Amino acid sequence: MAYRVLITDDSPAMRSFVRRVIELSGFELSACFEAGDGAEALAVLKNEWVDAILTDINMPGVDGEELLRRLAADELLRGIPTIVISTDATENRIARLMALGARGYVTKPFRPETLRAELERSLGVPGD
Amino acid sequence: MADVLESMFFLEGLSEAAEPPPDAETVTVHLTFTGNPPGCFQMRLACPAALTIAADFLGEDAESLTAQQSTDVTLELANMICGAVLSRTESSASFRLDTPQIVPQGTGQHVPDEKTRYTVETGSGTLTVAIQMETPICLPTERYAS
Repeated sequence: MAYRVLITDDSPAMRSFVRRVIELSGFELSACFEAGDGAEALAVLKNEWVDAILTDINMPGVDGEELLRRLAADELLRGIPTIVISTDATENRIARLMALGARGYVTKPFRPETLRAELERSLGVPGD
Repeated sequence: MADVLESMFFLEGLSEAAEPPPDAETVTVHLTFTGNPPGCFQMRLACPAALTIAADFLGEDAESLTAQQSTDVTLELANMICGAVLSRTESSASFRLDTPQIVPQGTGQHVPDEKTRYTVETGSGTLTVAIQMETPICLPTERYAS
């Protein structure tokens, strides 16, 4: 099965990297959308259904925390698994974001297999 | 730092190296962090290494990269190394990384304490990082904004 994924990060380089890593990991993508911040992500979600959202935290405008709040407040969108990708691996931050509704958390640096495993876990994909 | 470079930038076999001289062709990134602890981070990367690292990160040929792509990856590298260092040394603390800024050539560069500096050879040039926590002399990033 192939999945539709939205990558939200203010760094175009990071968005390209995440997309490439997903493809390298063997995770099947049928569509991959990109957004530069939470507001852009929500605009994409008005028109496109996705199976999972990957988001950075620190972004100008609507940041990752606010994006999680807005997703949780939306009846249609709250069920989409959202995985945070961040350099911040502090316990407080991880706990706060999981409490806001993040389904997974990947800390940079990460390896392709780590991201794939977190995507599959969040989507409930049976393991090999 | 080695973990970041190996996992995300596909660099292996890194070895500790001597810091390049002040007049070497390098790109410098300055980043401040607030919270507990506050402080600043600086990364100095040889120009050929910046290009190679950007190409590896994006999966493209170095010749086809734009200057903006190379800069974006260099800023992301600084962000990742700083975040990784802080998370590992202060895992129960909370901090927020400000946006990394390129330090314009010729600008007086604040250099954190000698004890915090570390330089590695990447294969295409050196990479030096320095971090300083709770520093009252760390300059605001606005000074470096282009």
